[in-house]
Amino acid sequence: MDLNIIIGGPQGGGVETAGMLLIRATATAGLQVFGVREYHSNIKGKHSYFHIRTSNKPINSIKHPADILGGLDPETLATHFSELRKGGVVVYDEAIESKSLTRSPSIDPAKAKRLRSALTEKGIKDTVEGLREYLKGEGVSVYAIPFSKIISNVLKGTNIQIERTMNTAITSAILSILGMKKDIVYDAISSLFAGKAGIIEVNRKVADAVYEELSTAEKFQVESAKGEDDKKGHEEVGKRLLLAGNDAVAIGKILGGLRFQTYYPITPAADESLVIEEIAKIFDNEGRIIGSPIVVQTEDEISAVGMAIGGVLTGVRSATSTSGPGFSLMVEGLGWAGINEVPLVITYYQRGGPSTGLPTRHSQSDLLFSIFAGHGEFARIVIASGDHREAMEDAVKCFNYAEIFQVPVIHLLDKGLANSVTTVPVPSIDIPIVRGKIVDGGEEYKRFKLTEDRISPRAFLGRTIQWYTGDEHNEYGNICEDPVVREEMYRKRMEKRRMILEELPDWDKARFYGPEKYDDLLLTWGTTKGAVVDALPELNATGERVSVLQVRLMEPFPADYVSEFIAGSRRVVSIEANYTGQLAWLIERYCKINVDGKVLKYNGRTISEDEVLNGYRRIKEGETSVVLTGGE
Amino acid sequence: MAAEWSSDVWPDWCPGCGNFGILSALKLALSELRINKREFVIVSGIGCSGKIAHFVRTNGVHTLHGRAIPFASGIKVANPELKVVVHGGDGDLLGIGMGHFIALGRRNIDILVVIHNNGVYGLTKGQASPTLGKGVKTKGLAFPNITEPVNPILLGMMSGYTFLARGYAYSVEHLKDLLKAGLNHKGAGVLEVIQPCPTWNNVTTTEWVSNNTFYLKDWKPLVEKKEDLAQKMKEVLSMEYGDKRALGIILEDNTREVYQERVTKLNEIYDKYPPSKQKIESNGRILPISFEKTFEKYLI
Ligand SMILES: Cc1ncc(C[n+]2csc(CCOP(=O)(O)OP(=O)(O)O)c2C)c(N)n1
Ligand code: SF4
Ligand SMILES: [Mg+2]
Repeated sequence: MDLNIIIGGPQGGGVETAGMLLIRATATAGLQVFGVREYHSNIKGKHSYFHIRTSNKPINSIKHPADILGGLDPETLATHFSELRKGGVVVYDEAIESKSLTRSPSIDPAKAKRLRSALTEKGIKDTVEGLREYLKGEGVSVYAIPFSKIISNVLKGTNIQIERTMNTAITSAILSILGMKKDIVYDAISSLFAGKAGIIEVNRKVADAVYEELSTAEKFQVESAKGEDDKKGHEEVGKRLLLAGNDAVAIGKILGGLRFQTYYPITPAADESLVIEEIAKIFDNEGRIIGSPIVVQTEDEISAVGMAIGGVLTGVRSATSTSGPGFSLMVEGLGWAGINEVPLVITYYQRGGPSTGLPTRHSQSDLLFSIFAGHGEFARIVIASGDHREAMEDAVKCFNYAEIFQVPVIHLLDKGLANSVTTVPVPSIDIPIVRGKIVDGGEEYKRFKLTEDRISPRAFLGRTIQWYTGDEHNEYGNICEDPVVREEMYRKRMEKRRMILEELPDWDKARFYGPEKYDDLLLTWGTTKGAVVDALPELNATGERVSVLQVRLMEPFPADYVSEFIAGSRRVVSIEANYTGQLAWLIERYCKINVDGKVLKYNGRTISEDEVLNGYRRIKEGETSVVLTGGE
Repeated sequence: MAAEWSSDVWPDWCPGCGNFGILSALKLALSELRINKREFVIVSGIGCSGKIAHFVRTNGVHTLHGRAIPFASGIKVANPELKVVVHGGDGDLLGIGMGHFIALGRRNIDILVVIHNNGVYGLTKGQASPTLGKGVKTKGLAFPNITEPVNPILLGMMSGYTFLARGYAYSVEHLKDLLKAGLNHKGAGVLEVIQPCPTWNNVTTTEWVSNNTFYLKDWKPLVEKKEDLAQKMKEVLSMEYGDKRALGIILEDNTREVYQERVTKLNEIYDKYPPSKQKIESNGRILPISFEKTFEKYLI
């Protein structure tokens, strides 16, 4: 089975909970799940939604058309009905039927205009009722359920507002229509509202009432779910973690020994720091505390990067986490870490830019910025993770590589990862921690001692006497402008780029998916990998042999390794979420080839599996640059 | 004694620069306090003043223009056993770095901030610094300064610093005592040092200092009880608005919690096991972390 569900409503009106209930329920049923969260830079009122895909095969993307649409308000129905497939399902509260689809005060005027002309074109009256009539004609099953009435019965005698549990009601209806057992809904409610007994009780009662209401209604078996057993037990999938990208990185960092994190609030990075702060204590199996990271909210990102560097100098694995605007402010500090060979980790979640741009939307447009940010030249590592599991594992590796090579490391992620929710297997704890060359120092210690392998033994502050400076310096770390020393130190730092390329395993440079022998090679990076890899079976069903290379090490660029894969291909196509094709640029620059086609997207929404198929088809038909426009 | 605190680096300040007085006082103070050189860290900004980190035989972290306080805060919070002092220019700490200056006071981290107040941007050839008086025209300026100055002591006071003092660079013995008091104080401190810059500042000269400052005699800087703070602040305010600048300890307040205590209240482990004392691996592998107990919320 492969099901796509969209559930939406006004931001702050329970969409988050609705989505998480669906995700929890499908995950506890033993299914794979991937949920993409879309929201405005707004706390309450504007349209937001979850696009949740669930399947019994591993997935890391969403797909259109959707099978089910749940709307907490008319705007959701108006926004997403055209994403539904023929034979899909729509669920909403009967009480909103007379309302206009496009006239809510919170709707974006540009969008309202766009929707109205679409409605006119299709001859749909601008009311929920009007849409219902149209959808019925299109073969969509419309479930206009008297949720308000059902809920007010349940809530009689309490002072809880109906809207508070509308999300549970709609979610329960969707799960009931899918034929999910009520226990699963109960479980999801209990785990989501853990610790709040009263709320759990009320929500369970709402679920009961909705299940009761729908008990006689025709159980709609959505076509794509047919014939599949959607209740595969835990045994099959094993123990898993259900988490958002922010959580995955936070957990990875804690496993990797992070003990000091600094941040200045910014979407979509800040949740990660909050998670680390809330985890607070690390336990072993006997329940003993074996660690506790400290998180500091700083006065700005300039301070965040400075404080994190300070932490690193004391020998503590320290990091800061940010997004584009914050990283812009951190750049001077990054350069200081570069010239001082500081193993600093910066976790960088890209969002739509420039400036404040699209604060809550997806983008992969800071690849070149992360590689080149800073005046002067210095070695750095930029690693881009492609999914939640990678992000968790890479969080550990970033610390290891930072300390082995004594360079700043940028862990490059994006909003698509930060806010999407999925499951990953519980990692084994057999993960290496490698701290590189560390010494106590002793007398006559030279922090920047010139050595055969370019790496100077590192002593922590407090162990010896040492100097650091952002000026060019001699082996002691004291200011020095002598041209010969300058050259030696410059080379010492820059030659690490070659070392990094020599020593990093291929697995961390790029990952290959698909048939060994291929005609076309799709190049991608970051979370776009999810959609591209998910599309592979269908891509290969068209007669062509198509494979995927996901580049992970973005700087220093593994040109030789990437070239090996390009050499075996007839056509090279890059797929990424930006305007200029930044990965394509790197490949053209470093591998000295021309990329035959670029599939791009810059509307702030993630690339879905169907868009990959569509984009590739158009390249095959002769286009050289395809711009994808999906998502709302 | 103080000689053992000299590094091998030649101090490249102009002859007669007030920074020499600050350097001497610092070395004397460190020597008399019998500070452990390995556990002491000078964190400095960019400017003539910032170079001081290289001239003392102890750890020196010469950071970025305006950013010494964040670096120092990170060092101190990650490893509270280190003794940390910040040295920076008036432009560094009160111009480009003012946000951090205020933040440190609010946090009350145990760090002493020494402001080398020369009224100018020394290293960039004498432009007006945030402490230069309105209407004053120093050598490097094309016109008299049209911006009002900031008073570092008052700004420090309103930001929450719990130790405030002012010294004079050429009054080395006195300055040494202020440094000792400031380093002994538990909490964030500001030590403003009036620092002649004979090269660029032809207004705040030695003569100006003797006519425009006075040494505090019967002044009681200590805030005995929390309730006395407001009254003490009023007294400081009216003193600072007088004709002459006071030299000495202006305020000392031990009634407010330092940052370390605040963190420990939220997380009792911090006191005994700050980040720098935590193990992060066992035999080259991650710690034997229990997923059930540590990440329970995420398990399904
Ligand atoms: C971000 C940045 N901007 C500008 C400079 C140039 N710069 C170097 S020192 C300095 C001012 C120094 O004045 P101050 O902080 O008062 O120190 P002083 O030299 O007077 O001791 C400036 C602006 C710099 N290093 N970094
Ligand atoms: S320019 Fe002024 S502050 Fe700088 S070294 Fe010379 S005298 Fe000292
Ligand atoms: Mg100055």
